[in-house]
Amino acid sequence: MAEENDTIIKLESLTKRYGYGDAASFALKDFDLTVKRGEFIMIMGPSGCGKTTLLNIIGLLDTATSGTYLLNNEPVSRISARRQARLRSKKIGFIFQNFNLIPDLPIIENVSLPLVYSGYHKTRRLIRASEILDRFNLKEKEYYMPFQLSGGQQQRAAIARAIVSGPEIILADEPTGNLDSHSSALVMEELKRIHSEGNTIIMVTHNPNLTQYATRVINMLDGAIDTDIKTVKDSDLPVPVHQRAKKKTKKKTKRKRGKK
Amino acid sequence: MALLLKTHYELAKSSLKQNKTRSFLTCFGIAIGVASIILILSLMGSISTLISSQVSQIGSDLIVVRPSTNKNAVDSVVDELTSSTQYLKSNLTMKDAQLIEKLDNVSSVAPLAVSINSLKGDDLVPSATVVGTNPNFLKIQNLTLKSGTFLKENSKTNTAVIGAALANDLYGTDEPIGKSLTLLGERFIIVGVLSEIDDPINFNNLDLDESLFVSASTLNEIDNSLQIQQINIRATNTDGIQDTVNLIRETLVAAKSGDTNFSVLYGEEITHPAGTLFSIISGILAIVAGISLVVGGIGVMNIMLVSVAERTHEIGVRKAVGASFNNIFLQFLFEALILTVLGGILGMIFGYSIAFLISLITPFSPFISWEIVLITFLTSLTIGVVFGLYPALKAANKNPISSLKFWG
Repeated sequence: MAEENDTIIKLESLTKRYGYGDAASFALKDFDLTVKRGEFIMIMGPSGCGKTTLLNIIGLLDTATSGTYLLNNEPVSRISARRQARLRSKKIGFIFQNFNLIPDLPIIENVSLPLVYSGYHKTRRLIRASEILDRFNLKEKEYYMPFQLSGGQQQRAAIARAIVSGPEIILADEPTGNLDSHSSALVMEELKRIHSEGNTIIMVTHNPNLTQYATRVINMLDGAIDTDIKTVKDSDLPVPVHQRAKKKTKKKTKRKRGKK
Repeated sequence: MALLLKTHYELAKSSLKQNKTRSFLTCFGIAIGVASIILILSLMGSISTLISSQVSQIGSDLIVVRPSTNKNAVDSVVDELTSSTQYLKSNLTMKDAQLIEKLDNVSSVAPLAVSINSLKGDDLVPSATVVGTNPNFLKIQNLTLKSGTFLKENSKTNTAVIGAALANDLYGTDEPIGKSLTLLGERFIIVGVLSEIDDPINFNNLDLDESLFVSASTLNEIDNSLQIQQINIRATNTDGIQDTVNLIRETLVAAKSGDTNFSVLYGEEITHPAGTLFSIISGILAIVAGISLVVGGIGVMNIMLVSVAERTHEIGVRKAVGASFNNIFLQFLFEALILTVLGGILGMIFGYSIAFLISLITPFSPFISWEIVLITFLTSLTIGVVFGLYPALKAANKNPISSLKFWG
C-alpha cells in the first residue's frame, strides 16, 4: 500500500502515433514507466526518439494514442480538460529549453502566471512570486522585462515560474540546452535543490555530464526504453518537505498518546 | 467566480495596454458608429418633444383641413420627398373655407395658400414664402405683432405683413413699416411686422419668421396657379370637437361631390404627417448608423484575430502553466468587450457633444434619456460578444504544443 502511494506516475504500454496507415510513425511505442515520488530522472537519447512527446504527455499537454497513464493512481483519460488545466497549474511545473517567458510581461508577472490559474488574488500572486524570485537571487530584477535578462537569468526565472505553485512534478525539456556551462551549472544547482526538497523531476537532456545530478538515467531509442539505470536506491530518495513535517507530527502524537 | 472574472478583466486590460494605438483605433471605429446612433436618436427625440410641445401649445380646439391622397403613408412620404414642393395636389378652395366658417361650433377659419416667389424690397430675395391668408390667421396662430397691424378685411390697397427675419433680409431692418415691395409685378405696402417666433418646425410646415403674409384673395388674383394647402380652424368649444370634425368632413365631401382627397385633423393628428415622414427618414438614418456600427464590430474582430495570431506563443505558455479553455476564451472575449464598451462610452460622449454643437445653431436641443444610454451600452456589449466570440474561440482552441513552437 505504501509503495502504491510512492508511485506518482505510471505509464502502461503508452503509444503515441502520428499519421495513419503507411504514413504512421510512432513517437512512443508500448512505453512502460513507473516514477516514484522524489526521483530525479534524466532521459537521454537521439533526436526524434520521443523524449519531448513523453514529457508533453506526462505534463498533460498531449494525449497518447493508446495505453494508460495513471497520475497519482488516477487514469488521466478520465480527468476532464478543465481539471487537467487545474492540475497543470498546481501539480506540474514546466521548464523549457527556450524559457518560454511571455515577452510582454515583467518577470514577476511571468513567474506568478501559474497562480493566476489556480485562483490567487493579484496581491498574493505578486507577493508569492516575489518570495520565489528572492530565492533565485532575482529579486532586484522583478520588474525587468524578459529581454533585459541574460539567458541564465531567464531560465532561472522560468524555473521560479515552474515551482511557484509548489508542484509535485517538474518537467524540464533540455533546460540547459541554450545556456553556457556556467549558467548550466547554476540552473542544475537550482534543480538539485528543488529535488532535495522532495520534488519529482523528469528532465530531458543531451548532455551526459549532467547525469551526475540524477537518481535514475533512462536512455530512449525509437520510442522505447533502451537502458534504465537507477543510481540511488528508492529508500534513499528525498521525502517531500511537507510529508516530512507530517511524519514527525504523527510520531509525536503517537508518543504523547503512549505516555497517556 | 468574481475573483476569476476580475483576473480575466485585469489580464485583458494589461494586454490592451501593450498595444495602445491599436486598441484606441479599434475603439474609435466603434465610437463613430455609436456616436452617429446617439446623434440620430438624440435629434429624433428632440424633434419629437418639439412637436408634441407644439400640440399642447396650439391648443385642443384647433382643427386643420389638408389635401391628402388615399395612398398609404410610405407612398405619400416618397411623394413628399421627390416632389419639388410639398403642396402640389390641393383640391381645397376659398369656397371650402367660407363653407366651414358657417358651421356650428366654428369660431374662426384661416385658409393658407402658400407660394414661393421672388420678392423685391430694398434687396432682392429670390425665393421667399408668400402666404395668402385672412385676418383670422393672427388669432388662430396666437401670433403677436411687433409693430403695425395685421391684414384687414377689404383693404383697398395691397397690404402685406412680414416675418421678422424676412424683414431683415429685404430691408436690413426689422422696422420696415410703410416700405413697399414688389411681388409678381404688384406693389405691396408693409403694414405690420410679426414678433419673432423662432419656431421653424411646426404644423403649418412654414417658417413664419421667413414668410410674407398677404390677403388670400389678392394673392389669388395675381397668381393663377395658387392653391389652398391648408385650412386652419378654431372651434368655439373643445367638447364635441369630434362632431365638428365629422360635420366639416361631411360638408366638404358634399360640396366636392364625393371627392375625399382631403383630411380633417385635430389634436395629435395634426403633427402626424410630418411625424411619419420624419420617423421614416430617421429610421433610414439609424440603419445607416447601425451599418457603421457593424463595420466597427468587424474592425474589432479583425484586430482580435490579429492579436490571437500574434499571441499564439503566449497562449501556448499560458496553457502550459495551467490556463484552461475557459480561461483563454474569457481573456480574449473580455478584450473585445473592453474595446467595444469603451468605444460605446467614447461614442456617447462624441454623439452628445455633436448634438450639443448642432443645438447651438438650430432649434434642436439634445435629448438625453437613460433609455438611449442603456440601449447604447447594451448594443456595444452585444457587438463585443458577437464579434469577439470567434477570435476568443479560436484562441481557446489552440493546441498548446504547436503554439509553444510558434514564435511570432
